[in-house]
Amino acid sequence: MPHLENQLEDKFRFLFAEHEPALRAFVRALLPTANDASEVTQEVAVVLWQKFGDFDASRDFRKWAFGVARYEVLAFLRDKGRDRHVFDADLVNKLADEADEAGPRHEAQRDALEDCLKKLPEARRALVLAAYAKGIRMDELAERRGQSAMSLYKALHRIRQSLLECVERTITRESLV
Amino acid sequence: MNNHWHEQIQRHMNGQSSAEESAALCEALKRDADLRALYLDYMNLDAALGEMAEAEATAVFGAGAPETTKPAQPLLGWHRWLWLAPSAASAALVILFCVIAEHRAASPSRPDIGELTSSVRTAISRLRPDMPPPIPAWMSPTAVLLKEPGHPY
Repeated sequence: MPHLENQLEDKFRFLFAEHEPALRAFVRALLPTANDASEVTQEVAVVLWQKFGDFDASRDFRKWAFGVARYEVLAFLRDKGRDRHVFDADLVNKLADEADEAGPRHEAQRDALEDCLKKLPEARRALVLAAYAKGIRMDELAERRGQSAMSLYKALHRIRQSLLECVERTITRESLV
Repeated sequence: MNNHWHEQIQRHMNGQSSAEESAALCEALKRDADLRALYLDYMNLDAALGEMAEAEATAVFGAGAPETTKPAQPLLGWHRWLWLAPSAASAALVILFCVIAEHRAASPSRPDIGELTSSVRTAISRLRPDMPPPIPAWMSPTAVLLKEPGHPY
């Protein structure tokens, strides 16, 4: 029996690792903050593992995982229903459908992002990675850098927008090739 | 897409939006498919940058990466039964005591305490040397004190 359980666990780890980036992006698209998305993604991982014994191997793991994730996101949003920054369930469902359809395009964007990040000047690259470090507080980062939180956000906005443009250019160029 | 929506989406991502701005973004997203596509692209970028920053931190700090840079992993395999360990240890001890007690009760070589003490008493009584016979009264060193007055021996 432990042997069978190990096989099941290995299979789960393999499938989960393969789809984790897409799953994280999917959950992130439906929730207002990165912390909420991180919390719900963890919850989704636990639920997927708990239910993996019942998973039909002939089905698409990604679709199954996205279905579980959508359910968990909606449950999370129901609990946070009074938060005025949270989108309503109709919009969340619409975004979930479109995020699911955009899976291959988003994967191509993630691949292109690595090169685009390398093309950034070192100071901008360091700034964006520092801003995305887990547990970082933007006001603390701004203070450390000797600038206001507002100017830090503005710098980040410019970097993200330029990264998105670079990613789009890369995908367009590759699709032409 | 104009810069206003780039700005609004990013403010929403950062948690900087006011309730009014969030409501306006929500309504615009419901109406505009292109805006939804842009919003999803930004969210995908956001998630990917988070992962890249995490990978960078792991590469820099290695195994000693600060706790905040490590994602919590779902409990898989035997780890998810770890909480059962104290209960299992207690149950094992109780079972062990029961088995020992039962073994003692059922053991055929266990001597009967009453029989054992009786046999020990018998053995002791057998080992006890016979008391010497009582000496005649006249041999007693105190016999002189007991003699009747006027008796000359």
